[in-house]
Amino acid sequence: MTLRTKTLTAALALTISATGFALAQEATTTTVPMQPADAEQAPAEGTTFVATPSETAAETATTEAAAEDPAAAEPEAEAGAEPAEGEAEHADAGHAEEGGDHGAAHIEDIDFSFEGPFGSYDQFQLQRGLQVYTEVCSACHGMKFVPIRTLSDEGGPGLPEDQVRAYAAMLLPILDEATGEERDRVATDHFPTISGMGMGPDLSLMAKARAGFHGPVGLGINQLVKGIGGPEYIHAVLTGYTGEEKEEAGSVLYGNTAFPGGWIGMPPPLSEDRVTYADGTAATVDQMSTDVSAFLMWTAEPKMMDRKSVGLVAVLFLLILSALLYLVNKRLWAPHKGKLKH
Amino acid sequence: MAGIPHDHYQPKSGFERWLHRRLPVAGLLYDTLVIPTPKNLNWMWIWGIVLTFCLALQIITGIVLVMHYTPHVDMAFASVEHIMRNVNGGYMLRYLHANGASLFFVAVYLHIFRSLYYGSYKAPREVTWIVGMLIYLLMMATAFMGYVLPWGQMSFWGATVITGLFGAIPGIGESLQTWLLGGPAVGNATLNRFFSLHYLLPFVIAGLVIVHIWAFHSTGNNNPTGIEVRRGSKEEAQKDTLPFWPYFVIKDLLALAVIMVVFFAIVGFMPNYLGHPDNYIEANALATPAHIVPEWYFLPFYAILRAFDGDVWAVQLVQFLSFGIVDAKFFGVLAMFGAIIVMALVPWLDTSRVRSGRYRPQFKWWFWLLAVDFVVLMWVGAMPTTGPYPYIALLASTYWFAYFLVILPLLGVIEKPEPMPATIEEDFNAHYSAKATPAE
Repeated sequence: MTLRTKTLTAALALTISATGFALAQEATTTTVPMQPADAEQAPAEGTTFVATPSETAAETATTEAAAEDPAAAEPEAEAGAEPAEGEAEHADAGHAEEGGDHGAAHIEDIDFSFEGPFGSYDQFQLQRGLQVYTEVCSACHGMKFVPIRTLSDEGGPGLPEDQVRAYAAMLLPILDEATGEERDRVATDHFPTISGMGMGPDLSLMAKARAGFHGPVGLGINQLVKGIGGPEYIHAVLTGYTGEEKEEAGSVLYGNTAFPGGWIGMPPPLSEDRVTYADGTAATVDQMSTDVSAFLMWTAEPKMMDRKSVGLVAVLFLLILSALLYLVNKRLWAPHKGKLKH
Repeated sequence: MAGIPHDHYQPKSGFERWLHRRLPVAGLLYDTLVIPTPKNLNWMWIWGIVLTFCLALQIITGIVLVMHYTPHVDMAFASVEHIMRNVNGGYMLRYLHANGASLFFVAVYLHIFRSLYYGSYKAPREVTWIVGMLIYLLMMATAFMGYVLPWGQMSFWGATVITGLFGAIPGIGESLQTWLLGGPAVGNATLNRFFSLHYLLPFVIAGLVIVHIWAFHSTGNNNPTGIEVRRGSKEEAQKDTLPFWPYFVIKDLLALAVIMVVFFAIVGFMPNYLGHPDNYIEANALATPAHIVPEWYFLPFYAILRAFDGDVWAVQLVQFLSFGIVDAKFFGVLAMFGAIIVMALVPWLDTSRVRSGRYRPQFKWWFWLLAVDFVVLMWVGAMPTTGPYPYIALLASTYWFAYFLVILPLLGVIEKPEPMPATIEEDFNAHYSAKATPAE
């Protein structure tokens, strides 16, 4: 049952220790300047996306999987066997969540590095988020719209290409349309599609498919200040478990303060030190949730940095153009208008 | 183009004379560009250029988007993501196109309300107004079908709800709905025909825009005083007007540039603000969203549609009198289309002989109440149909109809207009003291 998780983590660790040096250089040379507060550890450690084999593998295999997360750790292949958990929410997510109880849950605003006209993704945070996705979320959630190669995109996680190739190969194999046989994923493939009983919704666009803020009185005007709040919503769901459980129509539901209706089918996926960050960042539930939320914002909007720079150039250019046209217009009309009367 | 007397095109060189005899295209351009324009036009007269720009922007970005889009239920959503992730500059194209639709409607609403305030719809500009209303209807159809193309949840369910309106028509409704959808429910056939029409209609709009411009170039522009340009002679006309080029071209470009600053700030920094998060979930016929909300620009009329439910006595009365043929659902549909029809008929409903609201002391109040009413309808259209909202919607919808059907016809009779300037020149000079001699 935890076979895939184990293999995955081990492979990840191997991949990364092999290429760790490259990444270390990459990290220190290219992206340090844009690092916000939590950056100190990163350059020191050299790399951020490293899982130590022993720790993580053990963690994943034993504690979590056995403890509270049977459905979450269920690989795709075996999904049919155990239909109960997880399914309720995921299947219902479609309608339960689409604006169901607007404003019922309080979503905390987070000051993400990518917010605002000048904001940019924190490369190290995205890498940590990728690690959380890979080691936790990917068991039940696919990302079918995200090409794996974009992990090396500048402004994104910025992994070195050889590492991306190795990462692609350890994901679930893909059915080759030409041969009709399964083969290893390559960087040009997308992240796996995961569907079926007990599996969660695709996460590619999740950060844009949910709004965290609706106020005041459902007008959504506060989104002008806070942003739409997709990542904040994801963070709130991941940290919003109350610890309560109930059984309904054969599935277990978990109390959650952020999820519309208050009950979610997804078992609490995160627990203290669920992953081990190689950069030494303490893996609190809050930290992991924030990181994976930021990562999912990137998967939903990978071109955000490009878009903002286009926007900035366009706005500056148009401001200058407006100023020039204002002067032209004033000059042009002056003989006909003369001075303003009082 | 008839109308205000002005200088006409004179071919100068040999080639110009040669071409002019065969195809007077230079003359057409010249006459269009130098058309005498009332010199007292204020900043509410810039929306026409903004709208023309929007149409061009939508057509150009749209044509490029089509090069990468696949109109098939299994591939449409993924092809939009392909545009967002893989196509060079695709994310800008799509966000420009999506937000361009919003800018289009912001501009058209301001354009319409400007006409309503300054009486631009009144004789002799009724044809301009009617053509404008046709353009507005086509814009709504185009925008609605365009919103279906990304094949997200709101695309799918919005299409289901809106085409369901046609199903409410007694007798032929269901067959009509099936005919529109190309099947019993929204599916691949629907997506394909919407795609085809979404591509076609903008060109129909472009044609109507030419007719719209032709019409008001024949009558001349209205202006804030509502007083006609003097047409006795060219000299007289020149006291009231300035040529479109360069005076109004530069003024309009300035306005456009300022609006573009805001537009590009929205596209660059918050492109999804006006969209609905649900449309980033692929269409799923098995999961109905809790609230199906149309795009913001449809909300006022959506509110009117929902306002007349079975609890309203007028609806019950009509249902009784029509032997149940007009039920609550059909009544709502009639109300929604009726709301636009009464607006289209305003040239014949407004009995006042004074054109501009500036000189109508009572009209002003009712007009601004209508503007507030429009915003209230827009707000309430996005609210659930529980609590106080249905009452607010009903009240606001009633005022919409009352304004056109009761207030405007009566006001013309009982209202005493304020004194008006005799000429446009007088109005202009009351604001500005002309230093130099008038144009030319």
